[in-house]
Amino acid sequence: MLFGVTLATFLIFNVVGGDPALQLAGKNASAEQIESLRLELGLNQSLPVQYLEFIKQVAFLDWGESWHTQQNINAMIVSGIGPSLSLTLPAFLISFFLSLLVALISTSIQSSHAAWDRGITIFCLALMSISFLVYIISFQYFLGFQWGWFPINGWDTSWTERWAFLVLPWIISSIVSLGPNVLIFRSVLTDELSNDYVRTAEAKGLNRFQLYTKHILKNAVIPIMTVVTMQIPFLVTGSLLLEAFFGIPGVGGLLIQSIQNSDFPVIKALTVLGSLLYLFFNLMADVLYTFFDPRVELK
Amino acid sequence: MIVSSRAPTFISKDSLALICFGVICVYLVLALLSSFGVIGVDYATTRLQLSYSAPSASHWFGTDFLGRDVFARVLHGTQVAVLVGFFAASISTTLGLMLGALAGYFGGWVDDLVTWLYATLESIPYILLISAFAFSLGQGLSNLYLALGLTGWVKMCRLTRGEFLKHKNLDYVVAAEAVGASHWTRIFKHITPNVLHIAYIQYSLTFIHAIKVEVILSYLGLGVEPGTPSWGVMINDAKSELSRGVWWNLAAATLFMFVLVLAVNIFTDRMGKALDPKSRASNFEV
Amino acid sequence: MKTVIFQAISLMFILLACTPKASKKTNTITAYLEANVPHLDPIHSTSKYSSVINANIFEGLYHYHYLKRPITVQPKLADGLPQILNNGKTYIVKIKRNVHFHDDPAFPNNRGRELTAYDFIYSWKRLADPKLKALGWWVLDGLIEGLNDWRDKVRSGQANYETPVAGLTALDKYTLQIKLSRQSFQFLHYLSMPPTMVVAKEVVQKYGKEIINHPIGTGPYVLKKWQRNSEIILSKNPKYHKVLYPTIGEDQDKSKGLLKYAGQRLPLMNEVRVRIITEKQPLWLAFLKGDLDFGTIPKDNFEQVFQNNQLTKEFADKGLRIHSQKSPDVTIIAFNMEHPILGKNKSLRKALAAAIDKKTILEKFYNSRGIVAEGPIPPTIYGYDPEYKNPIQHDKTLAKQYLADAGYEGGKDLPVFNYEMANNSTWARQYGEVLKDQWAQLGVKIKLNVNTWPQFDKKIKTKKATIFDMAWMADYPDSQNFLQLFYSKNISPGPNNFNYINRKYDQIYEQAVVLPPGAERQALFKKLIDIINEDVPGVFIIHRLYRYPFHSWLENYKPYPIIYDYYQYLSVDEDKKAAHR
Repeated sequence: MLFGVTLATFLIFNVVGGDPALQLAGKNASAEQIESLRLELGLNQSLPVQYLEFIKQVAFLDWGESWHTQQNINAMIVSGIGPSLSLTLPAFLISFFLSLLVALISTSIQSSHAAWDRGITIFCLALMSISFLVYIISFQYFLGFQWGWFPINGWDTSWTERWAFLVLPWIISSIVSLGPNVLIFRSVLTDELSNDYVRTAEAKGLNRFQLYTKHILKNAVIPIMTVVTMQIPFLVTGSLLLEAFFGIPGVGGLLIQSIQNSDFPVIKALTVLGSLLYLFFNLMADVLYTFFDPRVELK
Repeated sequence: MIVSSRAPTFISKDSLALICFGVICVYLVLALLSSFGVIGVDYATTRLQLSYSAPSASHWFGTDFLGRDVFARVLHGTQVAVLVGFFAASISTTLGLMLGALAGYFGGWVDDLVTWLYATLESIPYILLISAFAFSLGQGLSNLYLALGLTGWVKMCRLTRGEFLKHKNLDYVVAAEAVGASHWTRIFKHITPNVLHIAYIQYSLTFIHAIKVEVILSYLGLGVEPGTPSWGVMINDAKSELSRGVWWNLAAATLFMFVLVLAVNIFTDRMGKALDPKSRASNFEV
Repeated sequence: MKTVIFQAISLMFILLACTPKASKKTNTITAYLEANVPHLDPIHSTSKYSSVINANIFEGLYHYHYLKRPITVQPKLADGLPQILNNGKTYIVKIKRNVHFHDDPAFPNNRGRELTAYDFIYSWKRLADPKLKALGWWVLDGLIEGLNDWRDKVRSGQANYETPVAGLTALDKYTLQIKLSRQSFQFLHYLSMPPTMVVAKEVVQKYGKEIINHPIGTGPYVLKKWQRNSEIILSKNPKYHKVLYPTIGEDQDKSKGLLKYAGQRLPLMNEVRVRIITEKQPLWLAFLKGDLDFGTIPKDNFEQVFQNNQLTKEFADKGLRIHSQKSPDVTIIAFNMEHPILGKNKSLRKALAAAIDKKTILEKFYNSRGIVAEGPIPPTIYGYDPEYKNPIQHDKTLAKQYLADAGYEGGKDLPVFNYEMANNSTWARQYGEVLKDQWAQLGVKIKLNVNTWPQFDKKIKTKKATIFDMAWMADYPDSQNFLQLFYSKNISPGPNNFNYINRKYDQIYEQAVVLPPGAERQALFKKLIDIINEDVPGVFIIHRLYRYPFHSWLENYKPYPIIYDYYQYLSVDEDKKAAHR
């Protein structure tokens, strides 16, 4: 599995992209200087040898230094995780609770106020029909500049100052993920409604509030968690666009920069780490799912 | 009862879906007309003296930096969007269906191979994956379809595989085997029609996804060839235009995109509820 | 309906949100950079972004006068101009006394040691050290007697930092003798560039590889905080040696208030916050809001700000100011002379050149900020001739005639040429589209290829590009820096990306570069320009004119592209700034 990821990463980025020796050498370099750089970077070795080097790096999770910044890659990534998480985690939580609330309302009025339920669904779909980039460009312009509600761009290491810069990105991020989340949660909750125990509970005379809090939500927790667990790896990789527009020094910006600079060691590191995270949380989701549904066996 | 055969009838019963279907058809017609050069013909005509003129009677959505008619460009952009959506969705749905069917039906090493392949693709962060494909294929519309198609089949494959695993041991398939139907007959004639409804839903979801990803790829400089007016390019141009008061480029592209994507979104949602109530929409943002 | 809900959601947050408060007397300059600074080590300082930060922390022997134009070299760590002997091949430089490195744990008792001549010898050996792969090595490559030898011997393990270099000797603690292997009239410029700036051996030894994150120099500022991709904060070096604000400048400088602080000790402000903002929209909006003291005007916003050669009323009322500066650069549509058709057919290249409407490009893409280029040498560079006219001017009929002469009347039988763009910005794309349009009118078709910078670089350096867009910005203010672009020994991967080879050109070039500045050298340079303009290995488009916008509270702002150490001269009028907020 990891073999596939490493091989794919290696092939794709080694074959395409720029020549790091040329870039590092700068605009006035001579052919001799470029050749010696290439030697130092190990670009003269055969592809299999380079690949073995790469596997070694994966095994020890030691990626060496970036070609572009000459900084230690682990240090670069670690310094990006904090900012990325401070953008994505609160946004994720806001969106999660807000979506759950909307989904609960939507589900509970499904039979009584069908038109409203429908309206909510359409509203969510409408939110999903606008490009992320449009949200960013227009919110930054209107909310940040024109109406002056939020700082336009910036960052601070101390939380007392930092959060002010983050509010607008949180809002945008929440709005973008609101639509899909509500729809998923709503369908999970609707599934629960069709279960026999709901009818039993209704027959027993439970009121609607108790029914939802005591039974449906409790039973829906696991499928919802399963869905949510799968989103966690994305929190760490950050949000490319938001980071670029709002000046948040996170992993997303690192990703873009490394692609644009053909900074192969950083790309390799990010791809492999991203895959590892994904695999880990995939496993977590499977475990959760097994608890929920004993019919599925763990492989 | 084959689920997908309910498709035509559900539309006639659902007025909202019918409206959306109508909207989608209008877009398809627009795309066709613009590709045959009936409308949006002068999308490339530059009139530098008219640079950034506001919407007027002669230019309904104003003009862009090079004085080109934004309305013509946005119409032409419809063609690009429809093409991108159509090919990307066709490639990925077909690929997903085939691989999923093979894996689910035959099991064994075929299954292992396919599962390994999609698990690998799925675990690479999407943005890296798509940029890698776009990078290695190079610029251009057809390469864009390919990049989107080749990276978008995983979900379809996983779902199809699941359905095939379930269906291959059901009575009707076992019965077919007993009367001597070959593997291929069983896969294509018997099981496939029973999972087609998943293909319909996945097809529309990938269609929308492709249109939205095009915007992001344009941001990264990996989109269509320069000169081709796509909605993504127009939105990206607006990054610096808005602060000088030029909102029409952004507005036109966003509006056209919004209506189409919303129509497909609602249509898919209605279709999903009618054909496959258990299916869950999931649409991760990039 | 939708917007109402957006607003409601936003309102929820607004009750919480507030902009970070600025205390009254900040004594801080807020600057910006449009790209991330990868590392802070002078030997790798080749991009303008890292150079700005490096030049405010480190110092070299010389630097450029802040106010005088054309820019002139003046002593920084050197005590006066050098004594030049031996036909321009030996330099004796006195070094200022009582200059100390920044305080750092690398030194005994944390106190920065005094600078000596030995530090320069050490620093330049570092620049030559093959293991360090210094990006700035080209500056001294082949110039100092014995340094290239030393480099080769270090590579093969036969030499180390103790091994002497014939061309670098310290006559005493404060006197440095440099012997050049050839005459160079650019040498003082080289000594003003970041790669030759001085570092201390103790610091290098203490931090090893991590030196790139621990810049310790002798300059006006010390690195206080560095948040990657976000912000760099520099604070005043309390022990900065005595450097004074210049007392003379250009004629109008006095009336512009640029001499208000004449004779005062630098740096004027205690802190510099350098914000890193890579996207155009936030950069412009942050500047307008007053978050940045100075900014840059995006192309699309230009007419809103500046019309008829002055600020529009709206922006003048907001207290914006503009500094205009001719930039020592030239933009070029370059041809690859190794291309089988394009490289062999001079008339074809002339046709393409004559078809380009430089004036429209200047108006639309540079908002008339600049002048149409007639040759490779830009204004403000030694050797620029404002009277010179290119023999090929924009003329559609003539272009068609040239094309017919080339054997491709109306573009018949010509293949579609690839045009490479250096980046994926909207600007670059629209530029390509206009070019495509202008050449299409001639009958020549091009295909626009978007590249990331590394892809672009690779295509050019490996001679794979056919036609491409490039710009050359002076490294130092001398014509030679531009004429070397056509010297055959510099072909790709060297700076001659046209892969232009002309023996006659080479001969004259070699003759000219060893001459001292003067009429004879000038006459030879003129011949070189004529040869280039006849052969058309590229079309020179624009010499840019920069308009640097800044807020009225920022004092002493007079930027110039290759003057990097300018933070120390800037000052903020705190009251005016507070009034804006």
